[in-house]
Amino acid sequence: MVVGEVAVETDVVVIGGGPGGYAAAIRLGQLEKSVVLIEKEVLGGVCLNRGCIPSKALIHTAGEYHKLSSLNKLGIQLPTGKATFHMPSWQTWKSSVVDQLNKGVDYLCQANNVTVVKGKATFLSSDRIGVETGNDFETYKFKQAIIATGSRPYIPSFLKTDGEYILDSTDMLALDEVPETLAIIGGGYIGMELGMAFAKLGSQVTIIEATEHILPQTAAHLSQEVLKQAKQLGMTVKIATKVEQAEVANGSVTLVCTSEKNGSESITVHKTLVTIGRVPNTGELGLAQVGVEMDERGYIPVTSTGSTNKSHIYAIGDVTPGPALAHRATKQGIVAAEVIAGLPSSVDSPYVPYVIFTEPQIAGVGMTREEAELQGHKVKAAVFPYRANGRALAMDEGEGFAEVIVDQESHLLLGMHVVGADASNLIGEGVLALELAARVEDVALTMHPHPTLSEVWLEAAEAVLGHAIHVVNKSKVAVSK
Amino acid sequence: MVEFKLPDVGEGMHEGEIVKVLVRTGESVQQDQPLLEVQTDKVNAELSAPVTGIIREIFISEGETVEVGTTLLVIDAGTEAKAEETKLPEKVVNPDKTVNFAPARADHRRSLATPYVRQLAREMKLDIELVTGTGAAGRVTEEDLRQFANRLQKSAPAKFPTSATGNERQLEESTVPIGTEPVVQPKTGTATRAATSSQGDIERLPLKGIRKKIAEHMVKSVTIIPHVTSVDELEMDQLRALREKIKPHADKRNIKLTFLPFFIKALVIALKEFPTLNASIDERTNEILLKRFYHIGIATDTPEGLIVPVIKDADHKSIFQLAEEIDQLARLAREGKLTMEHITGGTFTISNVGPIGGLQATPIINHPEVAIISLHKMEKRWVVREDEGVIRWMMNLSLSFDHRLIDGVTAVRFTNRIKELLEDPNLLFAEMV
Ligand SMILES: Cc1cc2nc3c(=O)[nH]c(=O)nc-3n(C[C@H](O)[C@H](O)[C@H](O)COP(=O)(O)OP(=O)(O)OC[C@H]3O[C@@H](n4cnc5c(N)ncnc54)[C@H](O)[C@@H]3O)c2cc1C
Repeated sequence: MVVGEVAVETDVVVIGGGPGGYAAAIRLGQLEKSVVLIEKEVLGGVCLNRGCIPSKALIHTAGEYHKLSSLNKLGIQLPTGKATFHMPSWQTWKSSVVDQLNKGVDYLCQANNVTVVKGKATFLSSDRIGVETGNDFETYKFKQAIIATGSRPYIPSFLKTDGEYILDSTDMLALDEVPETLAIIGGGYIGMELGMAFAKLGSQVTIIEATEHILPQTAAHLSQEVLKQAKQLGMTVKIATKVEQAEVANGSVTLVCTSEKNGSESITVHKTLVTIGRVPNTGELGLAQVGVEMDERGYIPVTSTGSTNKSHIYAIGDVTPGPALAHRATKQGIVAAEVIAGLPSSVDSPYVPYVIFTEPQIAGVGMTREEAELQGHKVKAAVFPYRANGRALAMDEGEGFAEVIVDQESHLLLGMHVVGADASNLIGEGVLALELAARVEDVALTMHPHPTLSEVWLEAAEAVLGHAIHVVNKSKVAVSK
Repeated sequence: MVEFKLPDVGEGMHEGEIVKVLVRTGESVQQDQPLLEVQTDKVNAELSAPVTGIIREIFISEGETVEVGTTLLVIDAGTEAKAEETKLPEKVVNPDKTVNFAPARADHRRSLATPYVRQLAREMKLDIELVTGTGAAGRVTEEDLRQFANRLQKSAPAKFPTSATGNERQLEESTVPIGTEPVVQPKTGTATRAATSSQGDIERLPLKGIRKKIAEHMVKSVTIIPHVTSVDELEMDQLRALREKIKPHADKRNIKLTFLPFFIKALVIALKEFPTLNASIDERTNEILLKRFYHIGIATDTPEGLIVPVIKDADHKSIFQLAEEIDQLARLAREGKLTMEHITGGTFTISNVGPIGGLQATPIINHPEVAIISLHKMEKRWVVREDEGVIRWMMNLSLSFDHRLIDGVTAVRFTNRIKELLEDPNLLFAEMV
C-alpha cells in the first residue's frame, strides 16, 4: 500500500489542536465518533504554547517581582540589596508549566480515542484531507470536518519581524532577558498585558496606540484605571499616534511615529513588540477545494452550531469572526462536536466574558452602560470601590471598582464589569448571574463570604438598589423599608 | 440606516401589539423576509423587511403595544450577513480593535432562561422564544417548557388538522369550524403550575395576543349591549335532501358545499325584511344606522383564536360562490393569513358551534352589530308531526339581539322567517335574488 493513495476513513477530522480543536476532538471521542486530530506543531495551540498560559505565567511572575518593593510597607524586610530577575530560569519554569499542560492534553486525547496526527493539513476535496507529515503524505476521508486552525499575529509589511529586534508576542515570550527599553506597537489587551509585565520587570516601556484609547475594546472608564497604573509604573503611553517606519541599526530599533499633537517624532529602543491584531490561519487550507466561504479578511462565517456554508464542515475559534478568545473557541468546539454527534447544541449565548490581565485587571460580561443605553434600555448602574472592601485593603489592593448595570424596569442584570485585583476570577460570578437571567436582587440577596473580594458584587448590587452598606448611597430612591 | 416604523397595516388602526420578533440584533435579513408579527385589532400581520441589510437595533419587545409610526427597528441597508462580521474600520486589519469584547448583540431581549433550560428546549425541539416564562422576571422555567410541550401536543391534532381528509371532513360535515363561545385556547401562552395541595394543579395562562383582544372585545360588547337571546329549532330534512342533490354538482366544480351558504342566503333574505337586525347604533350621536348592504361575518375557530372573516355583499352571491368564499376564508384564517380587509366591515355575524355540539347558547354580539346567530348541533330527534312521533333532523338556533334596538317580537319574527326559508328551501329559491 502506497501511503497517500488509500485514504484512512474516519467520521470526523479536526484541523488544529488549540483549545477549540482539542476540546472538539475530545468531546467527539466521548460521543464515540472516530476522530482524527491534525496538528502541525504542538497540541494546545496558541493559547497553551504562546498565548494565554505563557503570558499569564510571565504576568504572574512580574507581579510577584513587582510586589517585593511594596512589602516593606507590610513589615516584611528583605535582605539588603535589590531582588533580581533571571529570565532564563523563568523560561525553564514556564516551559515546565506548558509541558505539563501539553502532556495533559495529549493524555486526554488518547484516553478518548482521538487519533492525533502530526502534520500540516490541506483539503483535497469536500470529503478528503491531505496531511504532510514529515516526508509522508497521508489522506483521510471524513464525513465531517472541523476547522480550528486559529490565528497568528498580524504584522504589517513595513514592520517585518525579525525575532530579534522587531518581535511578535510569541518572540516576546521566548526572550531570555528583559529588554532595557521596549516599544509596543498596539495598546490592545496583549500589548498592555505584556507591556505592564515588562515594565514591572524593569523595562522602560513605551506604548504606541493609533486610536484615542488604550484597550479600545473596553469601556473608557475601565481602561482609565489601567492608564493610571501604567503611568505609575513609569510607562509612556502615546495615543492617537501611528508608527510610520521602523529601522534596525546598531543593535536597536528606531521608530518614526506621527501624531496630530506632536507631529513626527522618533524613538529608539532595544526591542519593539508588534501587537496590532491577529489574522486567521485560513489561507493555506485549500478551502477553495471544498467551497467553504471566507470573508475578505479570511474569517470563516459560521452559524450558532459552528457550521460553515458547507453543512458538513464546521469552523470554530479564532478562524471565525468574533472575539479571539480561548474560552469562545472551546465552547464553539464542544458545540460543533455535539452537533456532529446529533445532539441539539448551540452557541446561543451573547455572554462572552473577557478578562484582561493588566494592572489592575479588567474583566466583564454583558453590556456596558453605553451599549445598554444604545439598545434602548433605561439603565440603572452603580459601582462599588475596592477601597471600601475590607479584603482588598487587607491585601493592599485598594484600586478599582465593580460595576453592575441593570435594566431599570425589570432589574435584570445587563452587564457586570470589574477592574481591580483578581477581576479575572471575580467575573465568574457575573457570567453565571447573567446566564441564569438573574435580577440585581438575586445578587444582592445572596450571602457572600467575608472577607473576600467577591463582596464587591454584593455591595455594587445593593448600591444599585440604593442600600449598599459600605458606601454612602447616592440614590435613595430605591430604598425599601 | 433604514428606520422601520410600524405601518398602518389595516384601515384606521392606530396601534398594534408586537406578538413576535423574528430577528435579532446583528442578524442579516433579506428584503421581504419577515421581521415581526404584529397583532392589530383582529389580524396577525407579518411585517417584512423593506430592504436587505443588517438589523442594527431593535427597539421593541414582544408583548409591547406600539403606535403606528413608532420606529420598531433599524436596518443597516446594503450590508450583508458576512459583511457585518467582517466590516473593517477603515484601514488596519486589526481584530484586537475591531471586535469588541462585549459584543453589542448581547441583546437581553431574547427570552430569559438558564443555559440548562435552553438546552432542554433544544432537546424537546421547542423554540424557547415562543414560550412565555412564568418564572421570576419572566424567566422560562423547566416546567414552562413541559407545559408548553403538553399544550402543543394536545392542541396540535385538533387545531392543525394535518391530513387533508381531516380538513375536508371538518368543512364538509359542518361549515366552518367556529364558535362564539371561547372554545379556542391560545396557541402561545404557558402555564404555571401554581399547585395547591388540596385543590390540585392550577394552570395559569397569560391573557395575551388574540385571546386578549377577544376578551376586550367581548367585555365591550356585553357592557354596551343589553343582550337578549331567543332560541328556536329548525327541521333540516328538506335542506339536507337538497344539499345531497346539489352536492355532486358542487363536487364536479371542486366546491365544498356545506350548509352555511344556505343559512347565509336565508339570513340575508330575512335581514332585508327586518332592517333593524342589519344595523348598528352610533353611541356618540345616538343614531341608528340601517345598512343596506349585507356583509356576513362567519366566526371562525383558528389556531390563533376566534376570528371573524366577512363575506362581503352576501346578497349578491350564489350558493356556490358563497361556498367557495367560505372555504377560502376558512383556509386563510387557519393559516393566519387574513388581512384587515378580510375581517372588517361586517353587518351581521353567524357563529356555528354545530360541529362541536351544544343545544343552545348566548352568543355575544360582535359590536357594533346588533345581532348574532349561532347554529347548533344537527341531530335526529323525536318530534311530533301531525300528531305522530317521527324522527327528523333537527337543529337549534340561538339569536342574541341588542334590546336597545330590537324587541323580542321582532327577533322572534326574524327567526321564524329564517326557519320558514330553511325548512322549505323551495321558498328560499323563490325569494333569492
Ligand atoms: C499573547 C497572547 C495572550 C492571549 N491571552 C489570552 C487570554 O488571556 N484569554 C483568552 O481567552 N485568550 C487569550 N489569547 C487568545 C487565545 O490564545 C486564542 O483565542 C485561542 O488560542 C484560539 O484557539 P483556537 O483553537 O481557535 O486556535 P489556536 O490556539 O490558534 O490553535 C490553532 C492550532 O492549529 C494549528 N494549525 C494551523 N494550521 C494548521 C494546518 N494547516 N494543519 C494542522 N494544524 C494547523 C496551529 O499550529 C495551532 O496549534 C491570547 C493570545 C495571545 C497571542
